[in-house]
Amino acid sequence: MEAESPILRVENLCIGVPRRRRGLLSIVDTADFQLRRHQALGVVGESGSGKTMLCRALMGTLRRHGAGVASGRILYRERDLAGAGEKVWRRIRGRRIGYVPQSSLAGLNPVLTVRTQLTEAIHAAREASATEAEDQALQLLELVRIPRSGQVLEMRSHELSGGMRQRVMIAAALAQEPEILIADEPTTALDVTIQREILNLINRLRERLKMALIFVSHDLAVIEEVCDSVMVMYAGASVEIGPLEAVVRHPRHPYTRALLASRVDLAVPGEDLETIPGDPASVGAWPSGCRFRPRCPLAEDDCREGVQPPLAPAGLQRTACLHHDRMGCDP
Amino acid sequence: MSSGASPETARTTPSSAGVKRLLARTLRHLSRAALGALGVLLVTFTLIHLIPGDPVEILLGDAATEELVAKYRQILGLEGSLPQQFARYLASVAQGDLGTSIQTGQSVNSVVARTLPMTAWLIGVTVLMALLMALPLGVAAALLRGTWFDHAFRVATSVSLATPSFYFGLLLILLFAVRLGWAPVAGYQPGFPGNLQYLWLPALTMSGALVPILARVLQSSIAETMEQEFVETAIVRGLPAPVLVWRYLLRPSLAPTISLLGYILGQLLSATVVVEIVFNLPGMGTALVVEGVLLRDYPVVQGIILIFALIVVAVSFLSDTVSGWLDPRTRLS
Ligand SMILES: Nc1ncnc2c1ncn2[C@@H]1O[C@H](COP(=O)(O)OP(=O)(O)O)[C@@H](O)[C@H]1O
Ligand SMILES: [Mg+2]
Repeated sequence: MEAESPILRVENLCIGVPRRRRGLLSIVDTADFQLRRHQALGVVGESGSGKTMLCRALMGTLRRHGAGVASGRILYRERDLAGAGEKVWRRIRGRRIGYVPQSSLAGLNPVLTVRTQLTEAIHAAREASATEAEDQALQLLELVRIPRSGQVLEMRSHELSGGMRQRVMIAAALAQEPEILIADEPTTALDVTIQREILNLINRLRERLKMALIFVSHDLAVIEEVCDSVMVMYAGASVEIGPLEAVVRHPRHPYTRALLASRVDLAVPGEDLETIPGDPASVGAWPSGCRFRPRCPLAEDDCREGVQPPLAPAGLQRTACLHHDRMGCDP
Repeated sequence: MSSGASPETARTTPSSAGVKRLLARTLRHLSRAALGALGVLLVTFTLIHLIPGDPVEILLGDAATEELVAKYRQILGLEGSLPQQFARYLASVAQGDLGTSIQTGQSVNSVVARTLPMTAWLIGVTVLMALLMALPLGVAAALLRGTWFDHAFRVATSVSLATPSFYFGLLLILLFAVRLGWAPVAGYQPGFPGNLQYLWLPALTMSGALVPILARVLQSSIAETMEQEFVETAIVRGLPAPVLVWRYLLRPSLAPTISLLGYILGQLLSATVVVEIVFNLPGMGTALVVEGVLLRDYPVVQGIILIFALIVVAVSFLSDTVSGWLDPRTRLS
């Protein structure tokens, strides 16, 4: 019963950047999803679709980036964090929600050793003696499978490879045993072989630590490796959400289908890769009605009207497409 | 991917590399110091001999006979061509002997020994005071960017940068010494901590030129650091504010400030000369002007300037070491 109620519920979240005189610039709207305990949710979308801003909203750091929550709710254990102050966020960040930010290869403090950065995170969560904290730091490095952890503890960012840095970043995000781990494009800047290792690591950690995971990527193939459900974002809106299997097998939004069709990993050698026609809608120039309309093969006149349609209110697999019933016959 | 090395060996390896790095850096600084000292000696030697006015004639007065002048030249080591004189001088400096004062017959070493401690104290107290003021100011100005504090900071630093230190010193004397009586008007008495009573006002005067530069450099380098990805990481780890400010904002931003401090201390030494005279402090600056330049006492002038040059080198070594400790990235180059 308790396990069934979601730990995190994001309802109709809108994120905007206040501009002088010209009102609010919308960057994300209608982000809508739930996260149950031990669930792994993938968030996929082209770059610029607002994934990172969504993560920042969940960490309470929008203001640092000149943005803010315009409307909607972020319910963590039934508590609304959307308008929470720094004091509340300080108790959430790191302790409840761990975050491995995008471009986290530059995320380690260059002047501090790995030891300092791990132990200070440990100390932020609980009282611990110096030796206790150091032991735990060593355990964390072993948890993320870093060899020669004693040596790595004394190193600084510039002495570590990209994969190692990412592992240390993950270790630091886990230092306070959060309930939810958010990883924003954690493999994007890495070599393919290192990508594999990090994905395996994330899978193993989730099993072992029984965390919920929000895994952000522009690459659906990567999300399939680690997630059990997926949310597709297009131009700041959630356009489809559901169990991974269902969404991948039977996409119910034309954008999802286009993403699947343009997957590099499934391409047939010698044949042209399918690409999505047209340009992605950019922030500040979203079309009226459904934002995918200008690029959509199924578009009709009614797609033009009003605002971006919300996700269908019911069902496990929810779509924002008004004409999803025609998806089956138009492959 | 074997995890063979024990934590013990892991810890000794980087530190022995560290010792090697320190040795290399010390050697580099020493050779730079030797070259710098040679250059300084050559330049002061040339300049001082270009200035009109003969020290022996000043010493003996108009009535001196030709023979007497020639005899004195010999005694004072002023005979022969300039290159010969310079070579003789270098040889004695290399043995640690800075020569003998023409006017008083005292060894220049003893002049330095008498005046150096006070000047060293003055520089030390100045640096400490300047940092104590510049650090909080720079941090506050960076954190409060765009607020009234920031604007006031800009105006105040511009004004104090544009004020000459002797003028600033006179104002401070008027206010603190004459008006309020918080400090002696002038003079000095050696011995810590009693000497601080005489030093704080001159040190404050010199800080007037240092603090604005340091605080501004610190402000802009903190502003740069704030944009860094690792600050965001620290925030999302929920680190407490003191850790954030010291380890993630200040420490990565301090290196440029400390390097700059080492660099402008060279200029500060010329301010020392002015401030020592304004406050009537018996330091190297006063000795340089009163006992050296005004009386054409070549050995005194050269000896003191050489010591000033060595102080500059020592300070730059020190600031290099400190910024290397604060920010290992600067050690890479
Ligand atoms: N402070 C800001 N002002 C204006 N636009 C912004 C700001 N921050 C981000 N954006 C825009 O918001 C959009 C979403 O960015 P982001 O969340 O980083 O996308 P993603 O992570 O999906 O690639 C981008 O088009 C970006 O240009
Ligand atoms: Mg992003």
